[in-house]
Amino acid sequence: MSETAGQHGETLVLPPRGEPPRPARAAAWSQPGPRRKARQVFRPRRTIPGVLVAAVLAVAGILGCIWAASAALSHALWKVPHSDLAGPLQSSVHWADTGTLAVASAVAFVGFLLILIALLPGRTRAIPMASGDSSVVIGVPRRSLRRSLSWLVADVPGIDKATVRTGRHSVRVRATTRLRDTSGLREKVHSVVAERLVALDPLWPMQIKVRLRRKKG
Amino acid sequence: MSRHTARVSRIGLVVIGLILLLGAGAVLARALAASTSVLGSSSAPLLTHSQVQYPTQHSWVWPVTAAVCAVIALLALWWMAAQTSTKTVRRLPLEPDHVHGRTTLPADAVTGALTDELESHPTIRGADAALRGSSAKPGLRLAVTAENRADPAALRRWIETEAIPNMRTALEVETIPTVMRLQFSRAFDRHLS
Repeated sequence: MSETAGQHGETLVLPPRGEPPRPARAAAWSQPGPRRKARQVFRPRRTIPGVLVAAVLAVAGILGCIWAASAALSHALWKVPHSDLAGPLQSSVHWADTGTLAVASAVAFVGFLLILIALLPGRTRAIPMASGDSSVVIGVPRRSLRRSLSWLVADVPGIDKATVRTGRHSVRVRATTRLRDTSGLREKVHSVVAERLVALDPLWPMQIKVRLRRKKG
Repeated sequence: MSRHTARVSRIGLVVIGLILLLGAGAVLARALAASTSVLGSSSAPLLTHSQVQYPTQHSWVWPVTAAVCAVIALLALWWMAAQTSTKTVRRLPLEPDHVHGRTTLPADAVTGALTDELESHPTIRGADAALRGSSAKPGLRLAVTAENRADPAALRRWIETEAIPNMRTALEVETIPTVMRLQFSRAFDRHLS
């Protein structure tokens, strides 16, 4: 069965004994449809900034409502010196003052930031994997992938510690070793990571970079 | 569904961002004397005496301000609720025959059977399933935690060819849009716990 091996560059993955060979799934790489769908599913939802802004607005609205209502009733529960509040502003602060400019710039910056947060698609929270079924979208959360790969790399004989970072289309591994002779170790780490990525079959090719550091002692 | 809440969050953020940007932009334009004829002089005070005295002379100002603030607060609370709603389906209609009564199935029964099946797999340590969206057209959210040493390809194939089709059969649907998050945990964790 030639389709079980050699599909992803030089990495060779053999199916476990007794299991049917893997279907040729890498073809999904060339299909933009599943990629787009998976990107939409795993794109950041911006719930945290949205909820934060909504909370600030709600608090401001409630406080403003209480303030205005107490001012309207004039014998309010909460005494607010509403007529005095604008007092210091009315004569001493001008439109062209540095303070006015600074506050307006800060507010404009926050507004610009919110628009950027809303419009930038953002990095996908999970790395989408190929799926044999068009109605199923599979993703491995970045954090989980990082931990999974670092455990795998740390299990390589000779590797002390490993940290993994995931980029948009790349996986960067930093591994430390105490071995004096590190020949072949980098390749070993690379092949372990590549093998796992081939098994996971991401919807876009992931570049693997390995940095090996030798620790004395 | 998450795509719906994402749209709600993003549209709201654009609206608030635009309001802040345009408002602050107008203040900056006046402060920098960009258009004195339209916006007024930049050397004028921020609040004139007559503006400060306006609410004390017009009794409608404070009630209207209170009402506007209440509307803003309600809209913000609604927006917050819309962003955090998960739209979990609790009951599923099995036979849409309104004449002879309706048969519904608790969603827990379906997702429970699925998670039981998933967790029976030797390399799966935990599974979580929920139906989201509308009860007429639910979507499935799956979170599967597998052992790190397991072959993810074999596992995924088993889920796709066994577990999800079984659930489709139980629900009597052809397809169900599924989003699956595959996570990994260390093999020896199980022996520790």
